[in-house]
Amino acid sequence: MEAQQLTTLTGVIDKKMNRQLKQYMDICARCAICKDACHQYVGTGDFTYLPARRAELIRQIYKKYFDKAGRFVPALYEARDPDENLLDELYESTYACTGCRRCMYYCPFSIDTAWILSVAKAILIAAGRGNEMLGQLADAAIFKGDNAAMFEGVMLSGFEDISEEVRAITGNPEHQVHVNKEGADILYVALAGAHSIRPAAVIFEEAGESWTISMFEAANYGYFYGDAEKARLITKRYIDEAKRLGVKEIVVPECGHAYRVAEIFYEAWSGEPMPFKVSHILEKVDEYIKAGRITVDRDKIDGTVTYHDPCQIGRNGGVFDAPRDIVRAVTSRFVELTPNREQQWCCGGGGGIVAMEEFKDVRLKSGGKKVEQLKASGASVLACPCENCRLQIEELNEVHGLGLEVWQVIDLVVAAMPFKATPEADAATM
Amino acid sequence: MSDDVKVDLELDLKGLLCPLPMVKVSQNITNVPVGGVIRAVATDPGAMADIPAWAQSTGNEVLSAEKEGAEFVFLVKRLK
Amino acid sequence: MDTYLWITSVAGVYVAGVVFVAGIGWRIYEWATTPKSPVRLGMFPKPATTGGRVAKMLTDTLVAPHAARIEPRMWFFAMMFHVAALAAFVGHLRIVQEYPLLPDLLGAEGMNAFAAWAGGIAGTLMMIAVLYWIGRRTFGPFKNLSVPEDYLLLALLLGVIIMGNHMRFFGHVHAAEYREWFQSLLAFRPHVPDAISNSNVGWSLGTHMLFVNALLIYFPFSKLVHTIGSFAANYARSE
Repeated sequence: MEAQQLTTLTGVIDKKMNRQLKQYMDICARCAICKDACHQYVGTGDFTYLPARRAELIRQIYKKYFDKAGRFVPALYEARDPDENLLDELYESTYACTGCRRCMYYCPFSIDTAWILSVAKAILIAAGRGNEMLGQLADAAIFKGDNAAMFEGVMLSGFEDISEEVRAITGNPEHQVHVNKEGADILYVALAGAHSIRPAAVIFEEAGESWTISMFEAANYGYFYGDAEKARLITKRYIDEAKRLGVKEIVVPECGHAYRVAEIFYEAWSGEPMPFKVSHILEKVDEYIKAGRITVDRDKIDGTVTYHDPCQIGRNGGVFDAPRDIVRAVTSRFVELTPNREQQWCCGGGGGIVAMEEFKDVRLKSGGKKVEQLKASGASVLACPCENCRLQIEELNEVHGLGLEVWQVIDLVVAAMPFKATPEADAATM
Repeated sequence: MSDDVKVDLELDLKGLLCPLPMVKVSQNITNVPVGGVIRAVATDPGAMADIPAWAQSTGNEVLSAEKEGAEFVFLVKRLK
Repeated sequence: MDTYLWITSVAGVYVAGVVFVAGIGWRIYEWATTPKSPVRLGMFPKPATTGGRVAKMLTDTLVAPHAARIEPRMWFFAMMFHVAALAAFVGHLRIVQEYPLLPDLLGAEGMNAFAAWAGGIAGTLMMIAVLYWIGRRTFGPFKNLSVPEDYLLLALLLGVIIMGNHMRFFGHVHAAEYREWFQSLLAFRPHVPDAISNSNVGWSLGTHMLFVNALLIYFPFSKLVHTIGSFAANYARSE
C-alpha cells in the first residue's frame, strides 16, 4: 500500500498506544469465548461481528508494525497492512459495534474490545473512512456550540413552550424551565428533544430543586464517531457553561453514553479533572423520592413493568439500583429481565448505530436476544433510561409485534405524581 | 415564501425525537438533485436548532424554518 | 543418541532458559514502561477497596467464573489443562529437589508409584484438553479466527505432552536419574547419566526437551504471555 497512508495509519496506533491496549494486543488467546456474549454475533452468526475478530484486525496491524515477533515472522500472526481490504472489514465491524462491553464481561482476560475499537475508529477517520453520518452529527453539534448566539432565540422560545407544558402538568403557575440561572445548584444537560426536558423540569420544580437548563445537549456524536477532539469540544461546551454559571453539580439525562462521557471520558480527553460532581438524573429522582421531596402514587401505571439496563449506565456506568428503586416506587408489578444488571443483553441500539441506516439489518437481527427476554418477562411496560435503547426497542416492538409500551423512567415518575389541579392547569390541558 | 419553492421531497418527521429529524434529513439529502429542496415537518422543537446547524456544518442551506402550530416546517436546499 | 541429547537436553536447555527469562523480562519491561490508558477501563460492579480489587482480579484470573457461565465446556477443558499443567509443573520440581516428607511417608517405591499415577493422570488430562482445543479450533464455527500461531503452540504443547507421557508410561527411569541430569545442568557441569541415554526413553527425553525448548523460546513472543498479562488486564477491569 501507499507509503504515506501507511505512515499515517500506523502513526495513529503509535499515538493511541497505551499499556492496556498493548496487553490486549499481546494476550488474546483467540479462544472465542466472547462469541456467545455478543448480541450481534449471536444474532447474525457473521464472523465480522465476532468480538475477537473485530480486535484481531487491529492486532494484525499491530503485529506487523509494533511487535518484534510479528515483524520477524508476520505469517505466523497473519499480520498485514491496513490496506483497503482490511479497512473495509474494519469499518463494518467497528461502526456496527454498540460498545456494550458484554464481551469484556465474559472474557477470561477482561479484554476491552470497545477500547480496541476506539483505535480502529481513529484509524478509519485518519484514512478518510469515518462514518459520514456520525461525523455530520458531531460537526452539527460543534457548530451549534460555536454559534450559540445564532440559536439562542429558538432555544429560548422552545424552553418557554416547555415551561407552559410544565405549568399545565403541575398546575403551579410559578413552575418553569430555568435558563442561565447563575448560582443554581444543578446544571441539567438534557437532550435536544423536549421529551428529555419536560418531565425532568416537572420533577425538579416539584422537588424544589435549584436548577438551570443547559443550552447544549448531553449527546456526544463525536464520541460515537470516534474523534476524541470533537468529542472533547462537544462536552466542553457544557463544562464551560457550568463553570460560568457556578453550579455545583452536572446532571445528565436519560441517555446512555452521556453519563459515561461526563463521568469517565472527559477527564482523559481534556487532561483536567472533572470539576463538578456528575450525576445521572435517576440518581437525583431516587433521592427526591426517598427524601420525600416528591410524592409518587403506586400503581397508577397499568400493567407489569420491567426495566432494561442500558449498557453505558449499568455495566459501564455503575447505576443499577436507583432506577430499580424508582420503578418499584411507582409500581408493585415489577419484573426483572433475565439476565439483568451487569449481564444484561445489549438491545442492539448503542454506539450511534440507530443513526446509521447502513447497519439497520444487523441492528434488527442483533435485537433477537432482547426480544426473547422481553417476551419471557411477560411485561407490558418497559422503563428504559437511554434514548438509543428506546429507539431500538420501539422498533423491535413494532417489527415483532410485542405490544409493549416503552417509557422513559422520568415519564413513569411524572405519570405517578399527584398534582394539585388548578383552574389554570385545567385550562391549559384542555 | 415557501409557496414559491419547488419541493422535490417531502419528509414526515413528526413524532421523531432529536436528533433523528436531523439524521433523516441528512440521509435523504442525496435523494434530491443538487439545487433540489426537501420539505421536512417535525414536531420536536430541538429540530429548530439541529437542522440549521446540520445545514451550516455540511454546507447546505435552510431556506426557511418556521413554527406552524405544534409543527416545525423546514425547507432545506441541497447545495453540493 | 549422545549428540542428540547433548543438543536438546544440555545446550538447548541453556539457550531456551536464557531466551525465556530475557524474553519475559523484556515483555514485562515493555508493558511497565508504556503509559497507562488515559481512560479508566473498569466495569461495574467494582470492588471499593484495593484489597477487594486484588481479590476479584485473582478470582477472575485463576477461576474465570464469567467464562464458566457462558461456555462451561470450554471452561472445563481450559481449567483441566491449566490445573493439570500446574500439577505437572509441581511434579517436575522433583528433578530439582526431592520433596521432603512424602518419600519418607510412602517409601522410595511408593513415591515412584505415586508419581507415576499423578504424572500419568496430569499428562493424560493435558493431552485430552489440547486435543479438544485442536478440534474446537479446526472444526468450530469460528475456525477462521485461528492463525498459524495458534496451531503452532498447540502442536508444540502436544509434542511436549506426548513425549512426556511416553517417558511416564513406557520408561523405567525414575526421578533420581533425571534429577542427576538436571542438577548437573544447574551446576554448569552438564552430563546425561547413562541410565537415561541407554534406556528406551533416552530419545523421548531428547524429543520432549526439543519441544520444551521450542515452547520456552517462543513463549515470551506469543499469546502465552497471557499467563502474566491476564493478571494486569483483569485488574484494569476494576479500575
